[in-house]
Amino acid sequence: MHDLPRQAVSPPTVVSAPASRHFGRITLDVRQDLSQWKQAVFVGGSLILGLAVSVAILAVAGISPVTLGTELADVLNAESLRGVLVQAAPLILVGLGASLAFKIGFWNLGLEGQMILGGIFAAAISIYDIGPPSTRLLMMGSAAAVGGALWVLLVALLKIRFRVNEIIATLLLNYVAMYFLFHLLYGAWQDAKTAFPQSSPFRPFERLTDVGYGINSGLIIAVAGVLVAGWLVHLSRIGFYARFISANPRMAKIVGVPVQAMTVCIIAASGACAGLAGFVNVASQEGRLTQSFANGYVFSGVLIAFLSRNDPIVVAVVGFLIAMLFITGQTLQVFYQIPFTMVQLIEAIIVMAVASSEFFIRHRIRWIR
Amino acid sequence: MTLALQLVGIRKSFDGVLALDGASFESRAGEVHALLGENGAGKSSLMNVAAGLYAPDAGSILVNGVTASLSGPADARQHGIGMVHQHFKLVKPFTVAENILLANRRPHFSSGIKDIRAAIRKQADELKFDIDPDRQVDTLTLAEQQQVEIVKVLVGGANILILDEPTAVLTDTESEGLLEIVRRLALSGAAVVLVTHKLHEVKRCADTVTIMRGGKTVARLDPRLASADKLTELTVGQTVPLPPRTRHQGGPTRLNVGALTYARGDGRVMLNHTSFHVCAGEIYGIAGVSGNGQAELAEALIGAIEPASGEIWVDSAGDISCANNDRRREAAIAAIPADRYAYALAGGLSLADNFAIAHIRSGRYGGATLVNRSAMRREAVAAIKDYDVQGARSVNQKASLLSGGNAQKLVIAREFSREPNVVVAHSPSRGLDARACAAIHQRLIAARERGAAIVLISEDLDEVLGLSDRIGVMTRGVIVSEFERPADRQAIGRAMVDHA
Repeated sequence: MHDLPRQAVSPPTVVSAPASRHFGRITLDVRQDLSQWKQAVFVGGSLILGLAVSVAILAVAGISPVTLGTELADVLNAESLRGVLVQAAPLILVGLGASLAFKIGFWNLGLEGQMILGGIFAAAISIYDIGPPSTRLLMMGSAAAVGGALWVLLVALLKIRFRVNEIIATLLLNYVAMYFLFHLLYGAWQDAKTAFPQSSPFRPFERLTDVGYGINSGLIIAVAGVLVAGWLVHLSRIGFYARFISANPRMAKIVGVPVQAMTVCIIAASGACAGLAGFVNVASQEGRLTQSFANGYVFSGVLIAFLSRNDPIVVAVVGFLIAMLFITGQTLQVFYQIPFTMVQLIEAIIVMAVASSEFFIRHRIRWIR
Repeated sequence: MTLALQLVGIRKSFDGVLALDGASFESRAGEVHALLGENGAGKSSLMNVAAGLYAPDAGSILVNGVTASLSGPADARQHGIGMVHQHFKLVKPFTVAENILLANRRPHFSSGIKDIRAAIRKQADELKFDIDPDRQVDTLTLAEQQQVEIVKVLVGGANILILDEPTAVLTDTESEGLLEIVRRLALSGAAVVLVTHKLHEVKRCADTVTIMRGGKTVARLDPRLASADKLTELTVGQTVPLPPRTRHQGGPTRLNVGALTYARGDGRVMLNHTSFHVCAGEIYGIAGVSGNGQAELAEALIGAIEPASGEIWVDSAGDISCANNDRRREAAIAAIPADRYAYALAGGLSLADNFAIAHIRSGRYGGATLVNRSAMRREAVAAIKDYDVQGARSVNQKASLLSGGNAQKLVIAREFSREPNVVVAHSPSRGLDARACAAIHQRLIAARERGAAIVLISEDLDEVLGLSDRIGVMTRGVIVSEFERPADRQAIGRAMVDHA
């Protein structure tokens, strides 16, 4: 009995601050529920606060808010926007990968490793010249999805079979994937012409190109991913099951949810999304398998999933905004000698700001006289 | 004599919902004062105000006749108010002495722990507790942990003692012991407040009783001068009789449990070739001292654990002891587990979701590609009305906001909405008040009338005796003897203890 059930009917607990007798006191109430609209206001408010802090830090680093404003506005001109959209595609996919896994409480921190495997699988199709040119991109994409899924399913198996903690396992497999990539790029797959540690460039029909209006075909893959994941989460029966699996897996099993099968499917989908992100990155931006095409994506993926509250549709919006941040960061790096880590710092500040808004969504602060 | 604790006109609301509406309470030194009421009547809320956990919106608190403003539990402790909560507030990997030191801070750890050890021995001697200060808390039984909680508040110098539903976690014998301790504490001069919804405890051990209903105090009287019916009427508002029942006809066997075995992770054998059968239209009660494998039996029947060997045969689906979800669903087993929030509800999800989950696979709410939310909500609304689930402002509300009894009604509404073949109910009325309890029992009897085979596992002997057509006594993972209705209470009691 002393062992409280996970979702106990908690009578609203109240923590009282030390009293100051003459002025009344502050109490914290647990909110019973809060409308979506008000929640959005709290999250929005925290976001603005986080951005304000970021602007202040940049100002200290020598970028005045005015300069920052011009640069940000500049990002939205046609040429930069193209770059933003190209950058947005892998970010959205990796964000989808994170949000699907988080939806059922599987902390997939191996998105980078899965991206790398996706890139390797896609490159293998190109390097070994498999299939006719007309279906080549389709094959590369499918192979990438399979590669990413296999890499994460390894952990799913360890977790279900031996209760291995997936956070550590996925995270460490990133390094295994990375060194395997290095092994290939410094060995069998090294570009013979340049002798750089990267693969030879993909053939033209193996590249994701623009389809017009400055839109890259990688973005189309990402948007399709968003629509499929949105349907899966919001409309399909799998999404309904997924909510029970994350809310109370024991109970889900008893009421007849095929918990294990669903868990494996959703985890595989998560890895497949990350694998696709790897494919999009190597086939559009890089045009070949490089050493660093997946660098930093795990953090961005987690951030996007977190900010979008694991909602695939919102992932698209947040992914776009983070892409803007990336491109602005690159500009600042080039023209103002601001280190790119500043972008990661800003990401971190935003995460903390939004995380703290959770407190105000769950609690109400009251003044009692 | 002055009043030790006096609460006047206490109001408290949580997020717009009024939990206490001008409630009053007073308790004297040297007496046991029972606070009686249904679940959700506001008993715990009122006592949490007295213990400094909740700040009241209005009203005043007087300790020994002096107005006190309590800014937290520490402040309440300063005023000599100590509360033993229903869910113990102990750090399990810590020793008894460390836990008590944590609540009663001393300037230095090493000298403090010595001091605390001495204080524990002194208190334990006075109360005749057998507590080793250096035992780790998680090696203690629930009854022992409760004793630690009591010693904890006494070491803190409390002379106003609030015990919130202290017997809820105890067996019958342990409860007896506790009530004696309560009397002894009062004799030694403390003001003891016993929060409970059990009438017989009030009759047995309280000097005064305050009855609460709907956040208000409705009566204060001497329980020895009032009849049980009178007290029930005051708590419930109106009395609820059990419906008359027809005699069991003896249908075909619906459920057969054969030589079921199961051992816990630590190697302890919980089910040791458990066997029994239940016929259609029969309630089979399983009585026993808790911890004799009842929980594991229930879990095996509802599919939460997989037995090591043996069979669970259901007439509609065959052996389902290791079956997957599909086969189990075919068997149409309604699961009413003891721990509702662990096994029957997802507290973070809405009432509608919690209701619909049982049917989603049948296609009642659309196919695999598109879930029909409006159909779900419609049926959930109807079921909530039909099963009288109260406290639900809308079906979109989280299930965790329901009180215990209403949460249980929701579980039953869902489980019974698909005509169960077999019902497995484990302590279905645990923690419920009289009215909710009666409603649950009526539903079980109705299912029996429809021909379901019902397994009723309960540590509450009254419940088992009142409902069952046949009773099996379970000790050490085996059904040791069976009794036909009407069963002899004494004989069952002996069977429970003899083999233990």
